[in-house]
Amino acid sequence: MQEKIAKIIIDELKLKDVTPATFDPQLNLIEDLGIDSMELTTIVVILQDEFKIKIDEDDFAQLTTLAKITAYVQNKKA
Amino acid sequence: MSTTFKQILATPQINERWQKIKQYFFLRESTYDMTNRCNLRCEGCYYYEGDKQHTVDERDPARWRQLMTAEKERGITFVVLAGAEPGLVPELCRACYEVIPHGCIASNGLKPFPADIRYRVHISVWGDDDESKTYRGRPCLDQQLQSFAGDDRAVFVYTFTSHNIDQADSQVQRIADRGGQVTFNVFSPPVNYSGPLSMDAASFHKTHDKMLELLDRYPRAVLFSRYNAEVHTDPEQSLHQRFKCPYPRQNPNTGLGLGRSFRQYRSDLTWDRAASCCVPDTDCVDCRHYAAGSAIVTARMARHTDSVQAFSKWLDYVDTYLAVWVMGYAKDENLYT
Repeated sequence: MQEKIAKIIIDELKLKDVTPATFDPQLNLIEDLGIDSMELTTIVVILQDEFKIKIDEDDFAQLTTLAKITAYVQNKKA
Repeated sequence: MSTTFKQILATPQINERWQKIKQYFFLRESTYDMTNRCNLRCEGCYYYEGDKQHTVDERDPARWRQLMTAEKERGITFVVLAGAEPGLVPELCRACYEVIPHGCIASNGLKPFPADIRYRVHISVWGDDDESKTYRGRPCLDQQLQSFAGDDRAVFVYTFTSHNIDQADSQVQRIADRGGQVTFNVFSPPVNYSGPLSMDAASFHKTHDKMLELLDRYPRAVLFSRYNAEVHTDPEQSLHQRFKCPYPRQNPNTGLGLGRSFRQYRSDLTWDRAASCCVPDTDCVDCRHYAAGSAIVTARMARHTDSVQAFSKWLDYVDTYLAVWVMGYAKDENLYT
């Protein structure tokens, strides 16, 4: 699941020089990559479709790293 | 089963608009009161409520340039220069423009701005000449049109109040006849306001219909959409009640979006997180302000991705917001009609 989420992030942010396998799960998307709230919202919408889950607006701010997003999605799917 | 985002974007017209607006996701705003002076005193003006009006102005352009440099460093890419009247301090507006090139000035439009400051200029219009004289102390539109004749920076902002709904016809026509562009605002009272301009359910409905009528009649001059009219004239819910306002004043989260980066500076260059929003001292439970909506509705994209219709409405709203606020952005035809 983590690599699948990594691919969504890479595709949406058009990241270069990184693959789903090499994506650092602790990299902070906001602090380190500088993504904005609209980019994160777009990723959330795609994740909702892909994993058929509902992500609450109030939870967006905690989805800051690949590891946290993966844990969140796993929790929702459980 | 609801429509997926991928399915929504499969519609070429929607995808094209999505790609267009996405290019502006980099905009991160903060707002700045430029001076505590104004050459008008308007009924229900949010600036002359609360403490911010009592600050001592910072009048040194070098200090403003310094602030803008620091703002740029912390990621701010769009500045809104507002209260009380930025037109009285063009040298400070220029200092901002020289550092951060994207922005907008909220003005009463009585004085022209130097042509080299290439920010959008929002010019406030409050009803016809008699109405303006009563609630602003003088008629304004003739001088505003003269000051900004042929100026591609200008967007006139007609604020609907409970008093001036029918006057919008003649005022929008005057603006359109001079080749100007106009958008709509809804009077949003300051906290504890008890004056005559507040809206009620009947005036919200009437305003809604008038907005759509004018949008149909002047499709080039009026920068607006059906969804703008819907969300700004909802008699049951203010913008905050409907969308949960993300500005710091109502949003304790400091991790993301406006809660993380937005600041509202007073004219002495200080700011207070607890008071920070685009129209401070406005009553949040009655806020339908156009500036508030531009951020609030835009931020709530995820609420609009369950159908083609909902996403079309949101795209129209964002398309309108960008056309109103960003120099060089041209509005397309509305998708939801």
